[in-house]
Amino acid sequence: MSELETDSVGGGEGADDAAPGEQEAGEHAIAAGVRNYLIGLGLAAVLTVASFWVASGTSLIYPLGVPMALAALAIGQMGVHLAFFLHLTTGPDNTNNALALAFGVLIVGIVIAGSLWIMYHMHMNMMPPSDL
Amino acid sequence: MFGKLSWSAIPFGVPLAMGASLFMIVGILALLAWITLKGHWRYLWDEWFTSVDHKRIGVMYCVLALVMLLRGFSDAIMMRSQQAVAFHAAGYLPPEHYDQIFSAHGTIMIFFVAMTFVIGLMNFVVPLQLGVRDVAFPTLNSVSLWLNAAAILLVNMSLVIGEFGKAGWLSFPPLSELKYSPGVGIDYYLWALQISGIGTLLTGVNFVTTILKIRAPGMTLMRMPIFCWTALASSLLMVAAFPILTATLAMLLLDRYLGFHFFTDTAGGNSMMYMNLIWAWGHPEVYILILPAFGVFSEVISTFSGKPLFGYRSMVIATMAICILSFLVWLHHFFTMGAGADVNAFFGIMSMIIAVPTGVKIFNWLFTLWGGRVRFEVPLLWALGFMITFAIGGMTGVLLAVPPADFVLHNSLFLVAHFHNVVIGGVLFGAFAGYTYWFPKAFGFRLHEGTGKAAFWCWIIGFYVAFVPLYIVGLEGMTRRMQHYDVAEWHPWLLVALAGAVIILCGIGFQIAQLVISIRNREKLRDLSGDPWDGRTLEWITFSPPPAFNFAVMPNVTGAEAYWGIKQKAIQQRRLTDLPDYKAIEMPRNSPTGFITAFFAVVTGFALIWHIWWMVIIGLIGAFATFVGFAWRDRSEYELSAAELGRIDGARRQARIALVEGREKGITPVEYAEPQGHGSHAPGARAEPHGGHAGPASKRIITGYGFWIFLLSDFILFSGFYAAYAVLGHATAGGPAAAKLFDLKILAIETACLLLSSFACGMASIAANVRNMFWTQISYLITGVLGICFIGLEVSEFARMIAIGAGPARSAFLSAFFALVGLHGLHVTLGLLWLGTMMAQTWAKGFRADIMRRALCFALFWHALDIIWVGIFTNVYLLGTSP
Repeated sequence: MSELETDSVGGGEGADDAAPGEQEAGEHAIAAGVRNYLIGLGLAAVLTVASFWVASGTSLIYPLGVPMALAALAIGQMGVHLAFFLHLTTGPDNTNNALALAFGVLIVGIVIAGSLWIMYHMHMNMMPPSDL
Repeated sequence: MFGKLSWSAIPFGVPLAMGASLFMIVGILALLAWITLKGHWRYLWDEWFTSVDHKRIGVMYCVLALVMLLRGFSDAIMMRSQQAVAFHAAGYLPPEHYDQIFSAHGTIMIFFVAMTFVIGLMNFVVPLQLGVRDVAFPTLNSVSLWLNAAAILLVNMSLVIGEFGKAGWLSFPPLSELKYSPGVGIDYYLWALQISGIGTLLTGVNFVTTILKIRAPGMTLMRMPIFCWTALASSLLMVAAFPILTATLAMLLLDRYLGFHFFTDTAGGNSMMYMNLIWAWGHPEVYILILPAFGVFSEVISTFSGKPLFGYRSMVIATMAICILSFLVWLHHFFTMGAGADVNAFFGIMSMIIAVPTGVKIFNWLFTLWGGRVRFEVPLLWALGFMITFAIGGMTGVLLAVPPADFVLHNSLFLVAHFHNVVIGGVLFGAFAGYTYWFPKAFGFRLHEGTGKAAFWCWIIGFYVAFVPLYIVGLEGMTRRMQHYDVAEWHPWLLVALAGAVIILCGIGFQIAQLVISIRNREKLRDLSGDPWDGRTLEWITFSPPPAFNFAVMPNVTGAEAYWGIKQKAIQQRRLTDLPDYKAIEMPRNSPTGFITAFFAVVTGFALIWHIWWMVIIGLIGAFATFVGFAWRDRSEYELSAAELGRIDGARRQARIALVEGREKGITPVEYAEPQGHGSHAPGARAEPHGGHAGPASKRIITGYGFWIFLLSDFILFSGFYAAYAVLGHATAGGPAAAKLFDLKILAIETACLLLSSFACGMASIAANVRNMFWTQISYLITGVLGICFIGLEVSEFARMIAIGAGPARSAFLSAFFALVGLHGLHVTLGLLWLGTMMAQTWAKGFRADIMRRALCFALFWHALDIIWVGIFTNVYLLGTSP
C-alpha cells in the first residue's frame, strides 16, 4: 500500500481486529460520533463534579470513606474516558487492545499496591527518628 | 562556558586509567584510519549505519555486545587479580578505582552485553521465524539501536573524561546522592542508563507489536516457534518494567540536579523507596534476559535432536507464567531491609514458586533430547552446558529465596556466585549458542567447529573454577566488593578463582580465533542451501544471508514447525513447491534518523553530565528537529518489482534442488505424514484456511496498537511516580501540607480545560475522518488553546508555591508532588509540540494515510493524558485537601 493512498478507517484488514481508538465509520458516523463524545463529556463532567463535592466535606459520606469514594469515582471516570473517548469496547475486534490494557493495569496495580504494602511494613519496623 | 568540565577531568595522574584510555583511543583511531584508507565509509553509512533492516540492526547489536563483553571482562579479570593479591596488602587498584571497576563491570555486563546481545538475537531472528519482512516500526528499531550505542559511548567516555560511578551497578542512595558522590561518575551512569532505557523500551514496544500483529498467513500464536514466544514475553517485560527504571533513575536525577528529596536522608526522603522501586524493575529484568535464552536453547535442542520440542504447550504456558510471576518476587533482593515476617514470607514463597515453570522447561528439554538423533555440534554443547550449570544456579537461587538463609548469605560472595551462575550459565551461554546457531544464516558461512568446541570447554571449565571458590568463600563469610582482606582461609580460593578467570580468557581467545579462522576459510564453510543444521523453523527456508525482503512470497503456514513440514513434503515428493505468483512489494527506505537522534542524545547526555546548559538546549532542539524532519518526509518506502523478486528467488530455488533431492549432506529425511486437513490435533489449527490467521494486520492497526502499547508503558511510568507520592506524601518534614497549598478553584478550571480539550480533540478526529480540513484545524486549535491554558495555570501554581517557600526542595512530599504533576505537565507540553507539527503537516499535505495514522496516535495520547489527570486531581489534589 502506498503512503499516498488512504488506509480504510473503521475496520482495517479483516473485521476481527481494530486499531485502539478507532471509531465507527459509516452513514451516520458524524452524528453518532458527536453524540458519543457528548455523552462521554457529560458523564465525565458529572463524575468530576461529584469528586469535588465528595472532597468538599459533605456530611453525607462518612469521613473515613472519602478516600474510597474518591478512588471509586476516579476509576469510574477513567472507565468513561476509555469507553467514550478511546472507544475501547468489549467486542471481539478489541480483544487484543483490552488484553494489553489489562496487562498494563495489572502491573500498575502491582507496583503501587506492592510498594505501599512493603513500605508500610518497613515504616512499622523502623526505629523512631531520633530528632523527634 | 563548559560547566564542570576542565582539564582536571582527564586522569593524567593515574597511570592505569591513562593507559587504558590511551589504548582505547589508539584502537579507535586505528580502526577509523583503516576504514578511511580502505574507503569503506560510504558502504558503512549506506548499508549499515542508516539501515532499517532488522537483520543488519540485529548484527550491529551483537557486535556492540561482543565488544562490550571484552570491556566488561577486562574489568572482571582486574577484580579477580586484585583480590588474588590483596591479602594483607593494598593490591594494585586503589579503593576509588576498584569501586569504579566493580560498578562498571555490573552495569556493562547487564545493560550493554546481556541486554544488547539478547535484543540483537531477537532482532535478527523474530521476523524471519514469523515469516515476515520486517518489524512493525523499522526506523524506530534503528533509533533503539543507536540510542543503545549512544549510551555505550557515554559509558566508555567516562574512562577518559572524568570517572564512572562508585556506588555499585545499581547506584543505591544515599551513597549515590550528591552529598556522598559529588563527582560526575553517578551522572555518567544515570544518563547512560536513561538513554539506553528509552532504546530498550522502544524495542519492547516494537517487538510486542511485531509478534502480535505481523505474522505470516496461517502463523497462529500456537504455531509460533518457541523463540518467538520467549521474545514476546521478554518484550512485554521490557514494556512493563523499563518505565519503572526510568522513573526511579529520574527521581535520583532530580535529587542530584534540582535538590529534590526522594532518597536523601534529610527532609523526609527515604532511600528504601529506591531499593523497592529499582528492584521492581530489577527482577523482571533478569527474566527479560533469560527468557530469550530459554528460547534459543529450545530451538537448538529441538534442531540437534531432530525432534519437535517436547511439550510445546507447557513451554508456552511456563514462559507466560514466568512473565507474570516475575513481577511478584522483587522483595527477595532486600529481605534483610526489615519489612518483617509477613512480607518476607510472601515474597519468599513467590520466589520458590517461580522456580516451578523453570523446572518444567528443564524437563521439556530433557525429554526432547530423549530418543532423539542427537548431534553434538557447538550450539548443542552450549545448551547442554547450560542445562547443568543453570540447574545448579537455580538451586542456589531457591536456597537464597528462603528468607532465614538469605539473612546469612546476603551481600556475600555466595550471592555473587549465584547470579553469575545463572547469568553466565544461562544468558551468556544462550547468547553464544544463538551466535553459533544463527551465524551461518547471517553471513552465509558456518563458524569453525574445532575452535568453537575449544572455546566452549574453556568457558565451562573456567566458569566452575572461577565461581565454585566464590560459593565457598561466601559461605566462609566473605562479603562482596572487598578491595583487600586479611582472612587467610580465603586467599587460596581467590587464587583458584583467578585461575578460572584466566581459563575463561582462553575461551575468549578461542572465540576471537574462531572468527578469524572462519572468515579466512569462509569458502570452505559456505552454506549454500540456506539450511545448514537441518532446521525446523522458517528462517532456514530462505537464503543465507537472507535478502533484504527475507521472503519473496510470505510462506503459507499450515502447522507447527512450518519449515519442517514444507521441507519433508518436498523431500518426499522430490520436488519443490510450485512456482509462486510473485507480486511487487514495498520495503522501508533506509534512514539516518536513528544515527542523528543518537548523536544528539550523546551531546545532550554529555552536556547534562558536565552541566553545560547551552549544549543541553542545542542537543534537545537538534533531537526535536530530527523527529520533525523524519515526520515530514514523503517517501518512506521503495518498491521491488515482481520480476526482480522472481529473479532473486529463482536463484534460491536453484540452490534448494540439491536439498530436496537428498544430495545435501546432513539433511535426513524422516517418516513424515502431513497433518490431516490442517490437523485438528495440531496446535492451534482450525478448520478454516490459514488456521484462522490471515497474515499481517493493516498499517493503521499496527501503528495504533504499537502506540497503545507505548501508552501502557507510560501509565506504568506514572505509577512509579505515583507510588513514590503515595509513600512520601506524609513526609512534610515540618513544611506545609497538602491542605494548605492546593487551590481547588484553579484545580477546577484546570480540570475543565483538559476535559474540554479532550472533547475538542475527539471532534477533530471526527472531522478528519470525513476529510474536512476547516473543522479539523479549528478543533485542533481549540484543543491546543485549552492545553496551553492548562499548562499556564499549572506553571503559575508551581510558581506561587515556590514563591511561598513550598518548592520541591522543601520536603519529600513536595518533591514527589512536583515530580508527579510536573511529569504530567511535561507530557502536555510535548503533546502541544506534537499537535503543532501535526497541524502544520495536515495543512501542508492533506489527509494522507500516514498523517492520519499519527492523528490516531495523537488522539490516543491526548485522551490518555486526561485519564492520568483524573487519577492526579482526585488522588493527589482532592484527597490532599479533603478534611
